[in-house]
Amino acid sequence: MLIEFKVNAKQYKMDVCPTMRLLDLLREELRLTGTKEGCGEGECGSCTVIMEGKAVNSCLVLAPQICGKEIITVEGLADDRELDLLQQKFMEHSAVECGFCTPGMLMSAKALLMKNPHPTDEEIRTAIAGNLCRCAGYSKIVAAIKDAADA
Amino acid sequence: MSKEFKYVGNTFPCDDAVRKVTGDLAYGCDMQLPNMLHAKLLLSSIPHGIVKNIDTSKAEKVPGVIKIFSHLNAPDKMFSSYRIIPGQKMCFADEPLFANRVRYVGDRVAAVVATSLVAAREAVSLIDIDYEELPALLTPEEALKNEEVKIQPWGNLAHEYAVDVGELSPAAEDCITMESETQTQRAHHGAIEPHGCLAYCDTAGKLTVWTPTQSVYGARTVMAEFFDMNYSDVRVIKVPMGGSFGGKQEFLFEAVTSFMAMETKRPVKLILDREECIIHTKVRPAVKSRIKTTVTKSGKLQELIADSTLNSGAYSGATPDYATTLSQKVCRLYRIPHYKHTGRAVYTNTARAGGFRGWGAPEIITAVEVHMDQVAKKLEMDPVEFRLKNLVHPYDMDPVTNISLGDARVIECLEKGVEAFHWKERYNSQQEQGRYRRGIGVACGAHKNGMYGGFVDCTTMLLKMNEDGSLNLNASIHDVGCGIGTVMKIIVAEVLDVDPDLITVTEADTELTGYDPGVYGSRVTYVVGACAKKTAEMLKSQILDNAAVIMNKPKEYLRVENGHVVTSGEAEQRTLSYKEIAEKSIQENYTSLSAAYTHHSTSNPGSYSVQFAEVLVDTITGLTSVTDFLAVCDVGRAINRGMIEGQFQGAAQMGIGYALSEEVKYNAQGQPLNNSFTNYHMLTAKDMPDAKVLLIEHEGDDGPFGAKSVGEISNVPTAAAVINAVNDALGTFLTDMPLTPEKILVALNK
Ligand code: FES
Ligand code: FES
Repeated sequence: MLIEFKVNAKQYKMDVCPTMRLLDLLREELRLTGTKEGCGEGECGSCTVIMEGKAVNSCLVLAPQICGKEIITVEGLADDRELDLLQQKFMEHSAVECGFCTPGMLMSAKALLMKNPHPTDEEIRTAIAGNLCRCAGYSKIVAAIKDAADA
Repeated sequence: MSKEFKYVGNTFPCDDAVRKVTGDLAYGCDMQLPNMLHAKLLLSSIPHGIVKNIDTSKAEKVPGVIKIFSHLNAPDKMFSSYRIIPGQKMCFADEPLFANRVRYVGDRVAAVVATSLVAAREAVSLIDIDYEELPALLTPEEALKNEEVKIQPWGNLAHEYAVDVGELSPAAEDCITMESETQTQRAHHGAIEPHGCLAYCDTAGKLTVWTPTQSVYGARTVMAEFFDMNYSDVRVIKVPMGGSFGGKQEFLFEAVTSFMAMETKRPVKLILDREECIIHTKVRPAVKSRIKTTVTKSGKLQELIADSTLNSGAYSGATPDYATTLSQKVCRLYRIPHYKHTGRAVYTNTARAGGFRGWGAPEIITAVEVHMDQVAKKLEMDPVEFRLKNLVHPYDMDPVTNISLGDARVIECLEKGVEAFHWKERYNSQQEQGRYRRGIGVACGAHKNGMYGGFVDCTTMLLKMNEDGSLNLNASIHDVGCGIGTVMKIIVAEVLDVDPDLITVTEADTELTGYDPGVYGSRVTYVVGACAKKTAEMLKSQILDNAAVIMNKPKEYLRVENGHVVTSGEAEQRTLSYKEIAEKSIQENYTSLSAAYTHHSTSNPGSYSVQFAEVLVDTITGLTSVTDFLAVCDVGRAINRGMIEGQFQGAAQMGIGYALSEEVKYNAQGQPLNNSFTNYHMLTAKDMPDAKVLLIEHEGDDGPFGAKSVGEISNVPTAAAVINAVNDALGTFLTDMPLTPEKILVALNK
């Protein structure tokens, strides 16, 4: 089926299989491989992207559901070569280890800050509760998000 | 601290951090090769049986399917996925590429290679397998009792060991004895990046494999031996790794993917899904340990007798070594006049066990530390006081390995931690008796620094300075995700007094980078880092030699400073930049600035961590939350401080999960019950306390600038601290891990 949508401010018109997951559309069709697959069932958050301002697990969204919608992926966070503040703070705070959870974490954090520019620690933890990180134990990630919000 | 450092001990983002936050870094699963095919595995649905028939007729018709593989068209040859060096001891070749006799639910039966993953998946679902079922032995007890059912041709006992050091001398005072039995469970590594690799065999017969492995040279050994190829014709390239924790230590998929690539003559990519990662790859072995101690009434350990049984699962892999390792941890932690440890590794029809962060230490140290709390209780002694009487001291000898423990600072860790955690006030405060019970726990842990004393432990590097003064460190780095390359940069930068951003570090590639056995035994900072330091010192000497010629000044009057060589003892100080020296060295001295070095380790001190946990147990739901956590660690010298703290905080996430929720369980039919993140519970940001980290730095050992290992020790005492806190809260003696709400409720109802 033919769908129209926007990814990272770019307009697309594509013929897709209705059962295709948004995750595969991004990774396979658009080659935006920053979005990762850690579980494929909505449990790890490594596939998180922002859809219409909300963080969603792209492994649980089907391509037709994005028709007419706007998606932001990790590739769309930085403005040209200028990193987003969240990206900078993640680096500064050692919140990036293996980095596999990082794109998803960043997108959950970004969606939070878009809605709530000054979240509490508790709100940050709730916003990233769907994003598993096996390396860093979350403290530094929370600190990075907090710092980005306070800056 | 005795020295001032410019870079060492500061905080730097890990290597590739920019590419990680922008999503630009390609992991194995992101890679694409021209003409690439996708593979999908078919895993056994029964725990034990013979593959009678494989019907692929329907699957073959799926458009895009190129070839279907099984034991029917694969070599009838066994290998060990654990082998790193040829002729390695305790490596049993008991794994086939595809099983014709399946030994666990999740065993590899067949694979489809197709032009798309969708086609490969569909085809796999259309393959019919006929099994003749055999009795399944799910626990070591069953496997040892039913010897007539042989999981491997030689039986069900994979390995046995016995250690007996020192002797029990008659104590001058009365003693007590204590016995306990602790069961640690199977756990999933939970790296967020799933397993997999890519392989291609070109028309000249050269095989290239891209894999997130902990050892490119090991993967090369396995494949060259399996396919009977020259080592030089197998090129293994380490690709970025989204976490390993030991899960990507063994070479599980490289050979089978290579075989499919050779047969199809096209690049093949195999990436597992989460269920396959959990049930098919490796798990932390479940270990049952019985411990008996004799202790004087004043709290001095006289004797510790342990017996451990490790569940290897269906194939031996690392488990014979792993089981033996259980006996090499306790005497690194406690002074024990008589220590005896017997044990075994036993095959069962469950997921195969293998290396997991801490390699036996979390298993046996949990058992020991939970036991020690009970001894202290029996002695009516503060568990801290009891431990202080028995912990090892700096430069004690480990009686089991006969290697010095080096500047072992576990006592200091405990003392500093007691203060920082306000242990005494909290320990002596009144127990609450309502619905929520608060408890605190402490546990100590010991680990090692490399393989010295048991295995190859050398590494080769080449460091060169370019004409603009920038540097390339050519080394077999296997970054498992904690920024190993950055550690090397910091070390080189410190020696040469140069900006770390001017240094580029390679990852491992058997064709291009020097020998290194891989990321094992917490050897990287201690051994590989020491090599980086030595190589940088050699280059520094060359820089000074060349500068001496160019500046016409004896080397003794030259030193390096901020990317320059400067003279001393002159009325007017002269300086020459590295750029000028490197340029002139080539153009005028006809020598390029490069140093190559092979370092081998000659010591293996202990790394120590003492950890404190506070828990709150809900006596109605049985749910436990960890409300406060402190990790103290004797790191010798912190190289990259922020990343070290992150290691401990990540280890807390893993260790708390190990104590409370994470388990790969099987039902009575041998089916795994926890096969996804829906039912395998890892802690989220909402479940985790803000773990605090306190580093003890003395630089008393041979590591670079005195640094010792962090990655594994961080995870050794965590679970024990949490369990001790739960037992403190409830007045229980729970030892059957994990302490799920169900188990806690049962205990409370007793
Ligand atoms: S891959 Fe989508 S939540 Fe895990
Ligand atoms: S950094 Fe590795 S999973 Fe989060």
